[in-house]
Amino acid sequence: MKRLFLKTSLYVILILISLEVIVRILHLAKDSPTRYIDEHKVEKWVPNQEGYSVTGNRRQNFSKFYINNSGYNSYREFTPLKEKVEIALVGDSFIEGFHQNYYNSIGKKIENRLEGVEVYEYGYAGYDLADQLHLIYAYKNQFDLIDHVILGFKFENDLTRGEYHVMQDRMHLESPLYRNARKIKLLVYIQNIGVLDPVRQLVSQLMSFGKPKTIISEEIVIKESIKAKHLSYIENFKSLIEIYGFDKKRFVFLLDTNTTPQIFLNYLENNDFKYIDTFRVLSKSSKPTTLIYDRHWNNHGRSIIATLIVDYLTSL
Amino acid sequence: MVFNSLEFFLFLFIVFILYWFPFRKNVKIQNIFLLIASYMFYGWWDYRFLSLILVSTTVDYFVGIKIDTRTNALQRKLWLWVSVIFNVGLLGFFKYYNFFVDSWVDMVSLLGYDIKSTWTLKVILPVGISFYTFQTMSYSFDIYYKKLKPTKDYLSFAAFVSFFPQLVAGPIERASNLLSQIINKREFSYKQSVGGLKLILWGLFKKVVIADALAPIVDDIFANYTTYPASTLVLGVTLFSFQVYGDFSGYSDIAIGTAKLFGIELKSNFKFPSFSRNVAEYWQRWHVSLSTWFRHYVYIPLGGSRVSKLKSVRNIIIIFLISGFWHGANWTFIFWGAFHALAYIPVFLMGRNTIYKNSVVGENSLFPSLIEIGQVLLTFSIITFSRIFFRSESITDAFAFIKRICFHFTYETYNHPMGYRMIDYYILITLFVLYEYRIRKDERSPFKFKSKIIRFIAYTIVVLGMLLFYDSNVDRSFIYFQF
Repeated sequence: MKRLFLKTSLYVILILISLEVIVRILHLAKDSPTRYIDEHKVEKWVPNQEGYSVTGNRRQNFSKFYINNSGYNSYREFTPLKEKVEIALVGDSFIEGFHQNYYNSIGKKIENRLEGVEVYEYGYAGYDLADQLHLIYAYKNQFDLIDHVILGFKFENDLTRGEYHVMQDRMHLESPLYRNARKIKLLVYIQNIGVLDPVRQLVSQLMSFGKPKTIISEEIVIKESIKAKHLSYIENFKSLIEIYGFDKKRFVFLLDTNTTPQIFLNYLENNDFKYIDTFRVLSKSSKPTTLIYDRHWNNHGRSIIATLIVDYLTSL
Repeated sequence: MVFNSLEFFLFLFIVFILYWFPFRKNVKIQNIFLLIASYMFYGWWDYRFLSLILVSTTVDYFVGIKIDTRTNALQRKLWLWVSVIFNVGLLGFFKYYNFFVDSWVDMVSLLGYDIKSTWTLKVILPVGISFYTFQTMSYSFDIYYKKLKPTKDYLSFAAFVSFFPQLVAGPIERASNLLSQIINKREFSYKQSVGGLKLILWGLFKKVVIADALAPIVDDIFANYTTYPASTLVLGVTLFSFQVYGDFSGYSDIAIGTAKLFGIELKSNFKFPSFSRNVAEYWQRWHVSLSTWFRHYVYIPLGGSRVSKLKSVRNIIIIFLISGFWHGANWTFIFWGAFHALAYIPVFLMGRNTIYKNSVVGENSLFPSLIEIGQVLLTFSIITFSRIFFRSESITDAFAFIKRICFHFTYETYNHPMGYRMIDYYILITLFVLYEYRIRKDERSPFKFKSKIIRFIAYTIVVLGMLLFYDSNVDRSFIYFQF
């Protein structure tokens, strides 16, 4: 019995080491850049990092990222001047674009179409409207020099709070435990492909064992909570605009009208907030506009979005 | 609790430790523990159906004693019928009740009478009922045929009926093999346990990499067969052949491997059926425990092949129809059984049904001969064709599927429903077939390499394969659980 346990353990360890080597050689796991909070309490990536973003079990999507001096994934540095024409794209992972090669981003596609224009992509996974407006507020001098600011916006995700504060949950990912864990590429890989999900589920089941479950009628909850949620989100929106300001002449939202409630669209229209609708163009596409494994835009989707922004800007 | 779940491996580890440490010294206590563990394993799905296993166990335990103590042939037969009627009745109610009611309604409506089916019940099919009822019946049969003495140890008998590695999908064990091992003291064997772990690893590979990876493709093609060209339908049913093999033989390997960890040897259930050279050989290699059951308890009592050719043919038709019906309460399975009977009968009439009983393809050479390749391909095609009935939702769908293959033959490249590269799957299947051919002589030793390094590389590749094709969104239950 002792022999069985010893030999099995030895084999398991050796197999894990071999897999770690294979995962590294085949580059099956994504590289994770380091994040930090700057002097303006803005969360961003540590400048001058590069690596590869990987999606899928068999590396179905593989792209390079580069974090510039400003802490965002972009091929160019952000140096706005009065004499130049600049566009800022501010948003979450869709703008951040780790799912694409950094030199083939939406910004680059816009620059290819609009000669002489520089596009600055302030994208960061998880940025909501509070993050975005706080960033613009914190770097007011820089943003005042930018001619057009386009804010990637998702109603369901971006209005959960009415004021900015540092997201400690995300910063926990920079604790020594997580940082060291990320060095084990096999662990990163199996986490990304969902092998660890059953472990998490089992742990949460064990944690909730014996606790009483509150059974509420789903239908009633959905109806009541959706309406209340929408209203509270609109209140959060008003609060954020009031705290951090919003230049209605230069700022415009990039949103999907199909997933944005009509009540909020009406509010935007009634209060002269401009928006660009992505749904109209993406839904018309005969080819898929998103990646296989997640809903981030693929190359075709990004081209459509770039064209949409260019069309909007040239129509002004 | 399915074999390919985290819960199962935690459960297995705990049961293994307790079985070999605190309960090791006394076989009776070890069996009680095994019984409790098996009931826990089954109760994880639905504890209410534990009562069915308990009743089935009790009935056959007493029937066995009654048959043995009666000297009068008629009385012995009567007690045997008690077991058969009870077990088949149990199966009939839970598995076939609605099928018979619906078929009756359909038949009456064909005669011009329109009646509404108000007798159908919402009956849940208890997991594994087809397997454990057959196992308990085999006990009564063996006592009736005087091949076995009944046990007086009720708890050991209950542990035999509910032995968790093979409870829900076999292999269907005969008491002469399994019960005798449960009654007698088991000793821990390093070699046996290592053999068990290897089989578990290989079984998991077949389930996770072959069956689960192909499932979304097969589901998509069968669900949307009216929109796909014939070439895609052929691809769908071919991949289903690999899926169902990976799924069921993977389950059997894990079951046999798990039993080995407890010092128990189960009978082999799959012997590389994909390399069969005719349909008869296929049935000597596919779901062996069920084929053996039907041969011993249906075919031979009917006269087997020792009667006239005509009667033998009748017997073959009977066992294939019953075998089809055993799989499920649907006309698709009956047609599937009938198709196999039709494919088997010519082989039987030509006297070629046992010629490959003791050999494998490429028996004395590295590569198969051209004739063997042709035979294997032909047999595989016949078996794969029959699986259209096996996989289709209804008999109408099955015939529409076949019609589309035969009369709308067009070719189009198939794209994975989730957008994955199809070439990955074609390479996977090719490598799998080649590897299975490499190990074809011994189904119990999937990693039979002399070199330790090569063996280690094989383990690593198998685990890597599982990671490369793992899909957290796929339904992980086994196909044969529904039977």
